[in-house]
Amino acid sequence: MKMIQAVLDGSATPEELEHFKDNIEVCKPCIEGYELEKSIKESLQTKVEKKCCPKQTFEAIKLKIGIASLLVLGLLIKIKVIKDLFFC
Amino acid sequence: MDLEEEGELIEDTRPRYSESEKYKIFDKEFMPHIDSMYNFAFRLTNDEDDANDLLQDTYMKAFRFINSFQEGTNAKAWLFRILKNSFINDYRKKSKEPSKVDYQEVETVYNSTEDAEYESTTDLRIEAVQDMIGDEVAMALNGLPVDFRTVIILCDIEGFTYEEMAKILDIPIGTVRSRLHRARNLLKEKLRSYAKSMGYKELR
Repeated sequence: MKMIQAVLDGSATPEELEHFKDNIEVCKPCIEGYELEKSIKESLQTKVEKKCCPKQTFEAIKLKIGIASLLVLGLLIKIKVIKDLFFC
Repeated sequence: MDLEEEGELIEDTRPRYSESEKYKIFDKEFMPHIDSMYNFAFRLTNDEDDANDLLQDTYMKAFRFINSFQEGTNAKAWLFRILKNSFINDYRKKSKEPSKVDYQEVETVYNSTEDAEYESTTDLRIEAVQDMIGDEVAMALNGLPVDFRTVIILCDIEGFTYEEMAKILDIPIGTVRSRLHRARNLLKEKLRSYAKSMGYKELR
């Protein structure tokens, strides 16, 4: 069953893929297992709601990064001013 | 807390970005994944407020340690790894989710032979799964212990490969496969319970 899942997940090795192709049609439990795994995977992909990031959170992150940039800029200006005052 | 504590490897050859490059990378490589990241945070915490906090913390850490990111590599996997580590380190203990099943116990229960697994899971009918609505599937997913929930989210919802999952979770690929296999067996058990409550007869 791990091999069937790996095939469905697109992560099977070439050997597993070959073994799967050679045997899937003659193995009834494998076909049933494959179809069941496939339908569960599809349900997870299509039916479970994908939550989107709230706009406020998006804005909050941008703001925090913006503040961080201002702090860095402020620090650079401060260093430059100190250099100009004391080392020139 | 440095990034090594976060589970990231800092290489000596890491790039040194200028301030403007940092913002460019942040905007172009990190921000496009914000919805997937929020969805992952929400599915891990099961709580909108915690998901918001976890997401913001993750993005702040990503910016702080941006020199550990190699431009052009897999930004989504890199971000997911930071989020997962932040969740484990900072949020797991205070998570509002109900008491968790002991991970080792669950692994032991489901660490059975392939034949036994077949017997316990094939009684779920495909039609029952197809008839389920999103809430039922989501509830079954949310009911899994977080380590099992995580591999299913990464693989089935976000579409990561086993190799990417191994890097995100910092575990070998073999463990990814085993954990995913056990997670799916647990999920099937939960879906089978829903199917039964919906009136579907079991196959056996």
